[in-house]
Amino acid sequence: MGIEVKLPATPAGHPADLPVTSQEKVLKLIRPQREWRWEIAVYLYLAGMGAGAYIIGSFLIWLGVSLTPSRSLVLFGVPLNLTYAALLWGPILVAIGAPFLILDLGKKHKFFTACLNPRTSWVARGFLILSAFIVLGLIVLAVSVLSPERSGSRNVLWFILEMISVIFAFATALYTGVLLKSMKYTPIWNTPLLPTLFLASALSTGSMVVVLSVMSYGLFASSGHSLLPLIHGVIRVEQIFILIEGFILAIYLWAVYRKGSQGKSSVHLLLFGDLKWLFWGGIVSLGFFFPMILESLYSQLPGYPMLLVLTGLFLLCGGFFLRSGVIAAGIKEQFPMHRFVEAKIRLAVTEKKIQKGIGSVD
Amino acid sequence: MHGKLIVVDHEKCTGCRQCEMVCSVFHTGASNPSRSRIKVVKWESVGCYLPLTCQSCEKPFCVEVCPTKACHVDEENQRVTIDKDKCIGCKTCIIACPFGAPLYDKAEKISIKCDYCDGNPQCVAFCNVKAVDYIEADRINLAKKREVSLKLAEMLRQTR
Repeated sequence: MGIEVKLPATPAGHPADLPVTSQEKVLKLIRPQREWRWEIAVYLYLAGMGAGAYIIGSFLIWLGVSLTPSRSLVLFGVPLNLTYAALLWGPILVAIGAPFLILDLGKKHKFFTACLNPRTSWVARGFLILSAFIVLGLIVLAVSVLSPERSGSRNVLWFILEMISVIFAFATALYTGVLLKSMKYTPIWNTPLLPTLFLASALSTGSMVVVLSVMSYGLFASSGHSLLPLIHGVIRVEQIFILIEGFILAIYLWAVYRKGSQGKSSVHLLLFGDLKWLFWGGIVSLGFFFPMILESLYSQLPGYPMLLVLTGLFLLCGGFFLRSGVIAAGIKEQFPMHRFVEAKIRLAVTEKKIQKGIGSVD
Repeated sequence: MHGKLIVVDHEKCTGCRQCEMVCSVFHTGASNPSRSRIKVVKWESVGCYLPLTCQSCEKPFCVEVCPTKACHVDEENQRVTIDKDKCIGCKTCIIACPFGAPLYDKAEKISIKCDYCDGNPQCVAFCNVKAVDYIEADRINLAKKREVSLKLAEMLRQTR
């Protein structure tokens, strides 16, 4: 099928009869990409959130935090200690998210060849980064479950392994934005602010995952009260990340809008176009507004942990909608021929104005 | 760059989309323009039509982003080609290309793009108004310069 650029009906039936500014708007080929859809959004979301949770969890362990009283579980005759598991289960989230990339592929059975061009392709680099993080993170998690005395110990080799896994966690969280940034002809993606925004979102959603998993551990180990200081501490960190994320989001949208052309169209699409419900309802309300309100309510009413659970669910949904919105608003830069046609029609409008004797030529 | 390339002239194109039809028939055996390697972009209200296909860029971004090296520059004739066996249908090349040249074939579940019909492009052969042409790459620049000079001369004539 041919691609048709639709122009609005005008009284005179010709777009040249529209004002110049309207002309500019209607002639642009505003066709957001539809190649990457919800599968990629889930992949990026779970990768970022899992990596963020792992970073926060590892820092807490380095600060000497452990979930007490420790609780064990026997599975197939093997004793599993869950003291650190609630802080280090991020790689499992990343491992759950990775198949969504495969789900998006046309030839799913050939997914393992997606790492053959790491020299220039960010998809291939991401494949390697995520694989390395999943493997290293799962090793650290497995050792912490099977041999908890090693976690938090001052063993140099163990610390180096933990350190490398945290570096890969940072790389994973950043990669989710860098993959989109590498698409240089899509202005809303091609900005260094996007990896920064996704990193901040990874840390805010990751810290909320830690809060929720520590709460679950508290229920499981019947030690809710002893974990409250830890939960409150992580919430404070998470609030800071939300504020930073909101600030970066505002600068990001402003910077993309300032790029002009299709960057402007993408921001317009997000804020006032077809994606406005996703942006104002999903990203702003669920991701920023409600969590901040509910958390301040919880600080007044600490006896209602359901407020915190609700905050967590809202924030996690907001993180997913952020990825979905940014992906769905990707509009490619116009190619030279589009600009040429635009210029031609603008010229026709100007000529018409001169003939009618309206105003001066811009 | 050397070898022959497909060049389009939007001034000549009437928007009949015959090129899309013959392309799909040649490649898939069915008249299904949605699986054509050439697409006609239309500005119906202003009567402007532009057939679009791979521009065989000198530094192809689709080749850069392809994770499997399926999208590559053919060393023999310096054209960008997609290896059907290597393509995994990740659609990264489609998002990367500024011209929207590679397309996703839902039937084959891979990215497809113009392969010049093994040296005899059907879109060129069947275009009655010769809006699509198949010429030597080094002649394209000469043709463009000539076109610009003619346009400039026309503009100067009008302003006098």
